[in-house]
Amino acid sequence: MVALDLAQNTLDGLMVGSSYALLAIGFTLIFGVMRRLNLAYGPTIMAGVYLGTAAFISLGAPILVVLAIVILGASLVGLYVERLCFRPFGEGARTASMVASFALWMQIEEAAMHLLPRHMNPFPALVASAPLEIGPLMLRADHLVMLAATLLIAGAATYLLARTKLGLAIRAVIDQPRAAAIVGIDVERVMMLTFVLASAIGGIAGFLIAATDAQVTAMIGMWATTKGLVAMMLGGLGSVKGAIAGGLLLGVLEAHAQWFLGPQVRDMVAWGLLFVLLAFWPGGLMGAKALDRTMAVGRRV
Amino acid sequence: MDGFLITVLSNIGMISFVALSAYILLLSGQISFGQQAYFGIGAYVAGIATVMWSWPLAAALVLGAFVAGAAAGLVGLVTLRLSGIYFAMATLAFAEIMRIAAELFVYRREIGGIETGPDGIDGFRDIRYLFANDISPFQSCLIVYALLVAVLATLFIVERTRGGRMLRQVGEDPLLAEVNGIDVMRVRIAAALSAGAVAGLGGGLYAHLLTYVEPRSFDIMLGVHALAYGLIGGLGTALGPLLGVLIDIGLLESTRVFRGYRMIVFGGLVAVLLIVRPRGLLDEVAISRIRQALRRWRHAGD
Amino acid sequence: MLELQGLSKHFGGVRAVDSLDLRITPGQIFGLIGPNGSGKSTTVNLITGLLPVTRGSIKLAGEEITNLPTHVRLSTGIARTFQNIRLFGQLTVWQNLWVAENARAQRERASFLSRWLGGERGARTRITRALEFSGLADKADELAANLAFGEQRRLELARAMAAEPKLLLLDEPAAGMNPEEIGALDDRIRQIRDSGITVLLIEHHMELIMAIADRIAVLNFGQKIAEGTPAEIQSNPAVREAYLGTAA
Ligand SMILES: Nc1ncnc2c1ncn2[C@@H]1O[C@H](COP(=O)(O)OP(=O)(O)OP(=O)(O)O)[C@@H](O)[C@H]1O
Ligand SMILES: [Mg+2]
Repeated sequence: MVALDLAQNTLDGLMVGSSYALLAIGFTLIFGVMRRLNLAYGPTIMAGVYLGTAAFISLGAPILVVLAIVILGASLVGLYVERLCFRPFGEGARTASMVASFALWMQIEEAAMHLLPRHMNPFPALVASAPLEIGPLMLRADHLVMLAATLLIAGAATYLLARTKLGLAIRAVIDQPRAAAIVGIDVERVMMLTFVLASAIGGIAGFLIAATDAQVTAMIGMWATTKGLVAMMLGGLGSVKGAIAGGLLLGVLEAHAQWFLGPQVRDMVAWGLLFVLLAFWPGGLMGAKALDRTMAVGRRV
Repeated sequence: MDGFLITVLSNIGMISFVALSAYILLLSGQISFGQQAYFGIGAYVAGIATVMWSWPLAAALVLGAFVAGAAAGLVGLVTLRLSGIYFAMATLAFAEIMRIAAELFVYRREIGGIETGPDGIDGFRDIRYLFANDISPFQSCLIVYALLVAVLATLFIVERTRGGRMLRQVGEDPLLAEVNGIDVMRVRIAAALSAGAVAGLGGGLYAHLLTYVEPRSFDIMLGVHALAYGLIGGLGTALGPLLGVLIDIGLLESTRVFRGYRMIVFGGLVAVLLIVRPRGLLDEVAISRIRQALRRWRHAGD
Repeated sequence: MLELQGLSKHFGGVRAVDSLDLRITPGQIFGLIGPNGSGKSTTVNLITGLLPVTRGSIKLAGEEITNLPTHVRLSTGIARTFQNIRLFGQLTVWQNLWVAENARAQRERASFLSRWLGGERGARTRITRALEFSGLADKADELAANLAFGEQRRLELARAMAAEPKLLLLDEPAAGMNPEEIGALDDRIRQIRDSGITVLLIEHHMELIMAIADRIAVLNFGQKIAEGTPAEIQSNPAVREAYLGTAA
C-alpha cells in the first residue's frame, strides 16, 4: 500500500503546497522590487485574517465579506509596513530596513492579540461537503478550492507581470531599478503597488488556510513568514514560476515526511533540504546569484 | 538587592551574549538569523557536563563555548561563501534543525538515584549546579557580568588589533577588502567561530541560572531579537548591542510601564529610530565624534 | 612588468574583453583608452582578480598570476583605484590607510599571530607620512564617507600607494575633477612614475593622458585597435573612427 500512500500524500501535499506557493509569490514580489526581506509579511497576513475573524465572530459576517475584509486589511497593513520599513530606507540601509520590519512584526502581532486574545478562534469554513473519492484516493473539496484559487492567482499575477503596463514597470524595477527611474518609471509608486499586491495575495493565502482549517491560531503570522520564506528559497528566489514550484515542492515534501516520519521530523526535513541546498549546491536551485561575484562586482567597479 | 532586580540584571547579561554574537557577524558583513543555535548548543552541552558528568561549572562553560564555536566554524565553512539573504536563510535553517533536533534529543541517566537529562520536547530540567553548590542568585549574576566584561574586554582589544580592523573592512566592503589583500573567507570563519563561542558561553550560563533549558528557549525569536539589538544600540562599538538589550529588556519589559502594549510602542519606536539612525544609536559616526572629542580634550590637557 | 596574452572576458554574449595582448614595460605610464563600455575597467578587474578570466593569461614580472586569488595579488605588487571611488566609508581616514598594512604583513611573511595582533611601530609613522603626503593629516579621525569628493580621490590614491605597489592601476582618476585638481593629479602621477612605479592609467580626459602617457593602447568592443606613442595614437584613423563612430 506504500504506492497508495505516496500518491495520497503527494496529492495532499500539492493542495497544502498551493497555499505555500501563494505566500512565496508575495514574498518573491516584495523581495524582487525591494531587494530585502519583509519579515513583517506573515504578521501582515495575520492582521488581515484577524480582522476578518473579528468581523465573523462579533458580526457574523458571511464568508465573502470576511474574504474582502481579510484582503483589504492585509493590503492596508502592508501599506503601513512599506511606509515605515521600506520607503524611508536607502540602498545602504537594507539591514536596518529588515530589522525595522521585524520590529513591526512584534508590533502587529501584539496589536492582533489585543483584537482577539484567545490562542484559537473560529473561522468560517470554506466548503463543508464530504471528501471526493477518486478511485482509492481522497480529495477534500476545500483543498480543491485552494488549489484552484492558487492557480487562478498565479495565472493572474503572471499575466499582470507579462502583459500590463504596471507589470512591465514592476519587471523593470526588479531588473534595473536605476535604469527604470531614468526612463521615467515612478519607482516609489511601483514599489508601493507591488507591496499592496503582495500583501493582498498573502491575505488570500491566509484566508484559504484559515478557512480550510475552520479556525485560526495566533501562530499564523509566524507560520506564514517561515513557510513563505522556505518556499521562496526552494523556488530559487527569482520568479513567480519558481515560487509556485517551491511552494508545491515544500507541500509535497512535508506531506510525505509527516506521514512517514511524524510532524516534528516534517519540519526538520524542510529546513534540512534548504540547508543542504544552500550549503552544498548553492549554484543549483538558487542559480548563480547566491555566489556569483560577477553580480557583486557589478557596475560599481 | 531584591530578587526581581537580580533576575532582570541576569537576563540582560545573558541575552547580551547572543546580541554580541550577532554583532560580531554583523561587523563581518553577514546577517545571521541563527545565533540562537549556538546559544542552545552551549546550554545543552554545559548542562550535560555538570549534571551528567559532574564537571565543575567553569569547565562545563568552557566546553559549551568550545563545542558551540566549533559547530559555528564548521557551519561557517559551508555557508560563509553565501551572501546576503542566502546566508541569513542558511543560518536560520541550521538553527531550526538544531531546535527540532533538541526536541527529539533524549539522553536520560540515573544520577544519584534520580533519572535526569535532556528529555526531548520537555527540555532539560533540574540543572542544579548553582543550587547544589550554594551559589546565590546574586553571586550567579556576578558570574554572568564577570564573564560578560571579559568578553567585552576581549572585543575591545581585538578591535584595536589588525584582526579587528580586518573584520570591519571585510564587513564594509568584502570586495575592496580582497583587493587590499585580506583573505575574506578566513576572516569570516574566524568571526563565525568566535561568535558561536560567545553565544555558547551565554547559553551555558542560561541553562545554569534558570536551572533548565528547552528547545523553545532558542527559537527564531531569540535569533532575530539578538540581531535587532545590535542595530538598535549601534554598530560602532561592542557596547551597542548591550545598549539594545538594556533598552528592550531593562527599560520596557521589566519596568512594565507599557504592560500589554510594549511591542506596540517599542516596535514603532524601533522602526522610527532606524529611519533616523540606520546603524543604531552608537553608530560609527557617533563613535568617531566621541573619539575626536577625546583627542581634542587630551591635547588641551597637554 | 605586466603581460596580458589573449586575455578574454565574456559576460554571457557580451565580449567585454576579447583576446587582448598587452605588454607594459617597467617604469612607464601606460595609457589605456577607449569609448564607454569598451572593456577598460573589466581589464583592470581581471588583472586584480575581481573577475575570473574566460581565457588567456596574465603575467606579472614574468610570473603567472592568472588564477591567483584576489587577496594575494596586492602582495605581488598590484594596487588599484576604482572608477567610482571605493572606500571604507564607515571607517576613518586613518583606518582606511591601515589597510595597506595587511598586505605588508603578508608580504613580509609575518607569523599569523603578529599579523593578527599587528602592533608594529613602523605602521604609525608610515600612515602619518601617507596622511601628510595626501594633505589629509587633519582629517585622520574623520569617516571616509564624510570627506569631500576631491579628498576621497586623494585618499583612494594614498591608500593604493601605501601598499607600496610595483604596478599601480588607475581607473579614471581624473573623473569629476576641475582643471586645477587635474593639474595636481598630473604632477602626482609623474612623481609616482619617477619613483619607479609602473602605472596603468585609464582616462577619458585626453589632454591629461596625451601629456603624460609614455605609451597608449586603444580598446574598442574589447579588442585592441591601436597601440603606440601619444603622437601615433592621435594621428591613427582607426582610433578617430572608434571615437566618432562609423556613422560620422
Ligand atoms: N559585472 C558585469 N556583468 C555583466 N556585464 C558587465 C559587467 N562589467 C562590465 N560589463 C559589460 O562589459 C562591457 C565593458 O564594460 P567596462 O566597464 O569594462 O567598460 P569601460 O571601458 O570601463 O567603460 P567606461 O568608460 O564607461 O568605464 C560593457 O558592455 C559592460 O556592460
Ligand atoms: Mg570603466
